[in-house]
Amino acid sequence: MIVLSIVTDALKNLKSNILRTGLTMLGVIIGVAAVIAMIAIVEGGQVWLVQSIERLGTNLLFVWKKTLTVQEQRKFAGRSTGLQYGDALSVRQQFPDLVAIPMIEFNQQLKTGDREFSGEVTGTWPEYQEVRNFRVEHGRFLIQSDLTEWKRVVVLGKEVAEKLFGSESPLDREVKIGDQRFTVVGVMKPKGTVYGTNYDEMVFISATTAIRRFQGEDTLRRMIVHVPDREQMDRVTQQLHSLLVQRHDGVDDVRVRNQGDFLNAVDRTIWTFRIVLGGVAVVALLVGGIGIMNIMLVTVTERTREVGLRKAIGARRRDILLQFLVESVTISVIGGCLGIVSGIGAAYGFGGFVAQSMPGGGDWGAVVQPSAILIAFSFAVIVGVFFGLYPAVKASKLDPAEALRYQ
Amino acid sequence: MPFLKAFPFQSNRGPSISNARVRSNRKPIIALYDISKTYHAGEVSIHALSKIDITIDSGEFVAIVGQSGSGKTTLLDILGCLGRPTAGEYWLDAQNVEFLSDEELTTIRNQKIGFVFQTFHLLPRKTAIENVQLPLQYAGLSSSAQRTHAGDLLKRMGLGDRMQHFPTQLSGGQQQRVAIARALVNKPAILLADEPTGNLDSRTGQEVLAMFDQLHQGGQTIILITHDHGVAQAASRRITLSDGQVVSDEAQDRSSPRMDGAEQP
Repeated sequence: MIVLSIVTDALKNLKSNILRTGLTMLGVIIGVAAVIAMIAIVEGGQVWLVQSIERLGTNLLFVWKKTLTVQEQRKFAGRSTGLQYGDALSVRQQFPDLVAIPMIEFNQQLKTGDREFSGEVTGTWPEYQEVRNFRVEHGRFLIQSDLTEWKRVVVLGKEVAEKLFGSESPLDREVKIGDQRFTVVGVMKPKGTVYGTNYDEMVFISATTAIRRFQGEDTLRRMIVHVPDREQMDRVTQQLHSLLVQRHDGVDDVRVRNQGDFLNAVDRTIWTFRIVLGGVAVVALLVGGIGIMNIMLVTVTERTREVGLRKAIGARRRDILLQFLVESVTISVIGGCLGIVSGIGAAYGFGGFVAQSMPGGGDWGAVVQPSAILIAFSFAVIVGVFFGLYPAVKASKLDPAEALRYQ
Repeated sequence: MPFLKAFPFQSNRGPSISNARVRSNRKPIIALYDISKTYHAGEVSIHALSKIDITIDSGEFVAIVGQSGSGKTTLLDILGCLGRPTAGEYWLDAQNVEFLSDEELTTIRNQKIGFVFQTFHLLPRKTAIENVQLPLQYAGLSSSAQRTHAGDLLKRMGLGDRMQHFPTQLSGGQQQRVAIARALVNKPAILLADEPTGNLDSRTGQEVLAMFDQLHQGGQTIILITHDHGVAQAASRRITLSDGQVVSDEAQDRSSPRMDGAEQP
C-alpha cells in the first residue's frame, strides 16, 4: 500500500522528466551492459581456448628445447645440445606404451611446373596420424620404409594440394621441395584452422629425409608424446624429463609440458582478462552511479518545497528518505534491466563479429552465464542505493519550515 | 485508528491549566507561555518573538495580524510544530510539545494540525484527490479508506467533479479549496491558515473566508494569520503582533470581512 504508492510516485516523477531520467539511466545501462558483455566474452574466450587445446589431441605431452637463462648457459657451458632425433628414438625404446613423434619443421618452397606454394614442411613419423588424430583422405600417410630408406615422398594438406594441382589428382605426381624432387603419396582430409594452425596448409615428409636432405643436423624443434592413460600424465611427464636430462649428460635443457599445464596457463590468462575488463566495467558502472547521485541532488533541490509540504502534513524522515531512495533505485533497476538486454545483445554481436573476422575464431561465441547477469544486476541496484542514499538523506533532513518557503 | 482519535470536537482531554488567561468553562486547545524565539545571524541576535502568552480555546476563530517582520511567521511555525521556541512552553491539545522528538512532532502535525498556505502547496503531479489523500497516507490508512475519506470531503466541498483534475487544471479558488480539504481530512484540532486569501482575487477570497466561517460554525478551531486587517475581520478574536510581542488581543464583532486591505477603525 504505502510502498506501492511510493513506487508509483517515483515512476510519475521520473516520467515527468523523461529525457533527464533516460540520460541518467544510460549510465547504468552502459555499465551493466559492459559488465555482462565483458564477462560473456571472456568466458566465451576461455571455452574457445580450452576447446582449442583439447582439440590438439587428447592426453598429449609436448617436449621442446628450453630457452636457457644466463645462469644456466654459464653452468652448462655450451654442453647443451637441445632436443635430438636420438631422444625421440630413445623415448620410443624406453616407453613402449607411449607414442612419441618428432617434429622437424622448416620453411620451403614447393613447385609443380608453373605453380608454387611457400610454407612450412614438417618432418615426422607415421604415428603422427594417430597422435594428432589427423588422417589422409587419398593415398597413404608416411610409412616405416619412408623412414628407413629416407624416401623422397610427400603428403600434402588439402589446401596445398589444391594450390599445386587444382582439381587434378596429385597422387604419384612430382613436386619440387626446394631443389629436391618428391613424389606425392597422399592428401590429408580437410581439418581447417585450430588454435592458429591451419592444418590444411601442412606438408609432411619423413623425419629422416628432413634431417638428411634439408636440415643436415638431427636437432628437433619439438616432440609430441601421446600418453594412453590420462592418469599417468604427471608421472610420465617426470619420467620423460629425467630420461632426457640423463641422455643429455645431466644438462637440463628440455621442457616437458602437458595439456593440463596449458589449461592452467589459459586459466591464469583468463583471470587476468577478467580482472582488467571487469575493472573497466565496474568503473563504467560507478560513473553511472555518480550520474544518479548528481541528478538526485538536483531533484532534491528542485523539490525542496514539496519536501517541506510533505513534512508539514505528516511525512516522517524515513518517508522522505524512502521516497527519494526508491526513485534512484528505480532508475538503477530499470537501467539494470535494459543493460542486461543490451549486454546480452552486445555479447552475441561480438560472437558473430569474431566468427566472421578472426581466422579460426568461429567457435569463440559469447557465453552469457546467469550468474553474470545476477552479479551485474545486483551491482546496479547496489549502485542505485549507494549513490541515492546521500541525496535522500539530505532531503530527509531538510527543515520543514525553511523548505516550505524555499524559493 | 488515528483518524478518529484526532477528531477534535469531542475531546475530553482538556488540560487543567490554572492560568489567568484561561477562559471560563471552555477548553483551551492551545496555550503558549512565555514563548520566545531568537535567531542568531552571526554576532547579531534577532528576537523574532519575545515572551508571548496566548491561550486559544477549542472552537475559537482567531486572527493573528501583523506587518511583515512582526513575528507572525515565526509564531505560525511554532503553532504548527514546524519549529521550536527558544524558550517557553507550548501546550497543544493538553500535551506539552516541548519535549517531543522530531518524529512525534511530525505525528502531531499529521494528526492535529491542518495547514492552509498562501501558495496552496499542492503537489503538481498529483490529482486533487491524491493531494487530499496524502495526510491519510502518512497516517497509515489503507488506500481504499484514503480514497473514501478524501472523496467524501471533496464532494462536500463542491469539488466532486474535479477530483481527478491536476492542480494546473483548477482555478485558484478550487486549488485553495482542495488545499483546505487536505488540511481538514485528518480532522485536525486546529486549522492553521497562513494568508489563505493572499493569492486569490477578492471574490474568491471572500468565498474562502465564508468557508472558514462555516467551519467555525461547525466547531472547528481556526487560526488565521494575515497582514490584512480586512481579512482578519472574519475572525471573532484578533491578536495583533508587533516586533515580536502581542500588542492587542481582543474579541471583535464578526462582520463581513473586507478584502481591500483597509484598516478597520
